[in-house]
Amino acid sequence: MSPALRRYIAVRLLLTIPMLLILVTLVFVILRVLPGDPAVAIMREGASEEQLDTFRAAVGLDKPLHIQYLNFIGGVVRFDFGQSMTRKLPVTQEIRTFFPATVELAISAMIITGILGVFSGAFAAQHRKSPADYGIRIASIILYSMPIFWLGLMFQMFFGARLGWLPVSGRLDPGMTPERIITGMYTVDAVLTGDWALLKDALRHLVLPSLTLGLVLAGIFTRLTRANMLDVLEQDYITAGRARGLREAVLVYKHGLRNAFIPIVTLLGLQLAILLAGAILTETTFSWPGLARLVIDRIYDRDFTTVQGAILFFALLVAGMSLVVDTLYGFLDPRIRY
Amino acid sequence: MTTTTPDAVPVRPPLLVDENVGILRRIWRGRIWYGAEWYITIFGALILVFMTTMTLMAPRIAPYDPNEFVGAQFTPPGRGEQALLARAGESPVGPGADLTGLVIGVQRNQNGVNLARQLGANGERFQDQASMLEALQAGQVDLIFVSQEKVPDALAEQPGLAVVTGNLGRDFLLGTDNLGRDILSRLMWGARTVLGVALMSALLSSSIGISLGLISGFLGGAVDRVLSLTMDSVYSFPGLLLAVAMAAMLGPGLINVAVAISVIYIPTFFRVVRGQVLSIKEELYVEAARSIGARPITILARYIFPNVIPSVAVVFSLNVADAILTEAGLSFVGLGLPPDIPDWGYDLSKGQSFLVAGHWWMVTFPGVLITFVAMGFSLLGEGLSEILNPRLVKS
Repeated sequence: MSPALRRYIAVRLLLTIPMLLILVTLVFVILRVLPGDPAVAIMREGASEEQLDTFRAAVGLDKPLHIQYLNFIGGVVRFDFGQSMTRKLPVTQEIRTFFPATVELAISAMIITGILGVFSGAFAAQHRKSPADYGIRIASIILYSMPIFWLGLMFQMFFGARLGWLPVSGRLDPGMTPERIITGMYTVDAVLTGDWALLKDALRHLVLPSLTLGLVLAGIFTRLTRANMLDVLEQDYITAGRARGLREAVLVYKHGLRNAFIPIVTLLGLQLAILLAGAILTETTFSWPGLARLVIDRIYDRDFTTVQGAILFFALLVAGMSLVVDTLYGFLDPRIRY
Repeated sequence: MTTTTPDAVPVRPPLLVDENVGILRRIWRGRIWYGAEWYITIFGALILVFMTTMTLMAPRIAPYDPNEFVGAQFTPPGRGEQALLARAGESPVGPGADLTGLVIGVQRNQNGVNLARQLGANGERFQDQASMLEALQAGQVDLIFVSQEKVPDALAEQPGLAVVTGNLGRDFLLGTDNLGRDILSRLMWGARTVLGVALMSALLSSSIGISLGLISGFLGGAVDRVLSLTMDSVYSFPGLLLAVAMAAMLGPGLINVAVAISVIYIPTFFRVVRGQVLSIKEELYVEAARSIGARPITILARYIFPNVIPSVAVVFSLNVADAILTEAGLSFVGLGLPPDIPDWGYDLSKGQSFLVAGHWWMVTFPGVLITFVAMGFSLLGEGLSEILNPRLVKS
C-alpha cells in the first residue's frame, strides 16, 4: 500500500466520524426535537398527564434536551440501543434477528440489478441511437418511474394469485423451519446444513421480492452504465483498439466495461440509499420480515426505542458502506486522492 | 479505384446557447438540435398539462363525489355493477326504470341501502344471500341486489329468477373500490392531492436547498465544509426512512407529509446549486462586477442566482417526479394522508388486501397513473436538461 493510498484511507476514516455524528443528530432531531411528543405518540391520545410524566421519567424524556442528546449519543457509541418497548428484548437483538432477511433480499436484488443493468446499459451504449437503445432507455425510464410496491403487487397478482407459481409473502412456507440458524439468511443456512428442501422453499419465496427490487434498481443502473459507457467508448484507447482490428464485442465488454466500472462502483455506494429505501417498500409488499419492515411495524406498535435503534443502525450501515465504497474506489482508481 | 465515403454524418448547426433569447425561443430552437429529446420534453409537458387539467377541473369532470358510496363494492371496470333479481314470472325491470316505492333487499352493507335510495327505492338489509332469496320468495321485498359474480349461484339455487343486469343508470368506468366509491372520481380528485403535495414539498426543498447552496458555494471555507458534509450525509441516508420517521412523528396531514418528503430532496438542490456557484464564481463577469465594487449580495442575487436557475429547473422537475413516488410510498406503508383525502397511494394500498381475491382494478389504475405522471415529470426534467444546459449534460 502506497503512502498516498494509506493517507487517503485514513482521511476517509476520519471523515466517517463527523458523518456519523451528523446522521445521529439528524435522527435525534427528527425523533425528539420536532413537534410531536414521543410520550403522547407511544401512550396514545387520551393518556392522563400523570401517566405521561411517569413514562417520560422512565425513559428519560423528562431531562433537558441537551442531556437527552448526550445520553442518546452515549448509547450509540456503546452500541446500546436500549430495550424494546413492546417485546422484552434488547433492540440490538431485534436488529440481529431481522437484519439477515434484509441482507438476503438486498444481495439477491443487487445481483439481478448488476447483471441486468450493466449488460443492458453496455448494450445500449454500444448500439447508440438504434431501436434497441431507445427500447432499453424507455424501459429503464418506465421502470424507475414505477412505484416499487406497485410492481410487486402486479407480480403477486400474476405469478402468485393468477398462475400460482410462486408464493407471495413471507420467507418460508408455514411449517418450514430451518433446523439451525447460522447466518439468518435461509438460503445460505440451507446450503450450510445441506437441507435442500429448505433451500428450494427459501429460493421460491425470494424470487418475487428480489425481482421487484432488482428490476426497479436496474432501471437506474442501466442509465448510469449507459452514460458511463458512452464516455468510455469515446476514449482514444477504444479508437486505437478498433484501429488495430479488435473485435467490437471484446472492445466493448472487455476494455470498455472494465473502465466504465470505476464510476459504477461509486454509484453502487450511492445506490445503497435507494436500495434500502426500496427495501422498505418491497418488504412491506411481500411481508418480508426484514429490518425495514421492523421499523414500519414498530411505528404502528409505538415501539419507539426499536424504531430509533433500527434507524440508527441504518445510519451506521450507510456510513460504513460509504467508507468501504470510497476505500474500494481508492484501490480501483489510483488517480483519486484527497 | 473506388473511394468509400463515410456514412453521412448529420452536421449540426452551431449551437448559440449564449445568444440572448428567451427560454421559450430557446426551447423552440432546441427542437432542431435535439431530435428525439424534443419529443420527450413534449411528452413530459403534455402529462403536465393533463395533470393540471385534472387538478383544476376535478370538481367538474369527476362523475361522482370521491368520498361518497355511490355503487356496489368491487364493481369491475366498465358497465354493470350489481344485478337486480326479481321473482320468477314477474316482468324484469330494465335499466333506468322507475323503482320508486319498491323495496330492494340488500346484503348487510350500507352502500346497497344508499344505492337503493339513490334509485328511488327503499333498501332493506339482510344477513346473507340465502335469507335475501327467501325474503324475495316470501314477498317481503320486491327486488334484491346481488353482486354480478354471485348471480350464477343465486340462479342455481332458485331457477327462474328474472335477472336485470346492466348499470341501472350508473357507469363505473374504472370500477368501484371496497366501499363502493367510484375509482375514476377518486383518481381525478387524487390528482389534486398528489400534485399539491409534490409541488409543495418540491417548493420547500428547493427554497431551502437553493439558499443553502448559494451561501455555501459563495462563502466557501468552514461554512461550506460543514454544510457540504451535512448534506452529503443526509444524501447518503435512505430518504424514505427519513420521511417515514418524520411522517410518523408529525402525524397525518397534507402539510406534514409535504414537509416530511421535502427533507429528502434538500441535499439534491444543495449539491447542484453549490457546484454551479463554484464554477460561476470564477467567471469573468463576476470578477468584473466585483472589481467595480458590487456588494456580495448584489453579485449573488444579480449575477450568480440567474445562472443557477436552468439547472434548478431540471432538478425541480425530477424532484416532483420523485416526490410523487415517495408520497405514494408513504401512503402505502400507512403514513400518508388522512383517509378522507382522495389519494392514489392510499387507494393503491387499500387495494392490496383485495388483490388475491381477484379485484385487480383497485391496484392497477392508481399504479398506472402514478407511473405515468412520475415518468412525465422525469422526461420533462431530462428534456429540459438537454435544452437548457446543452454543454453540461451528456446522455
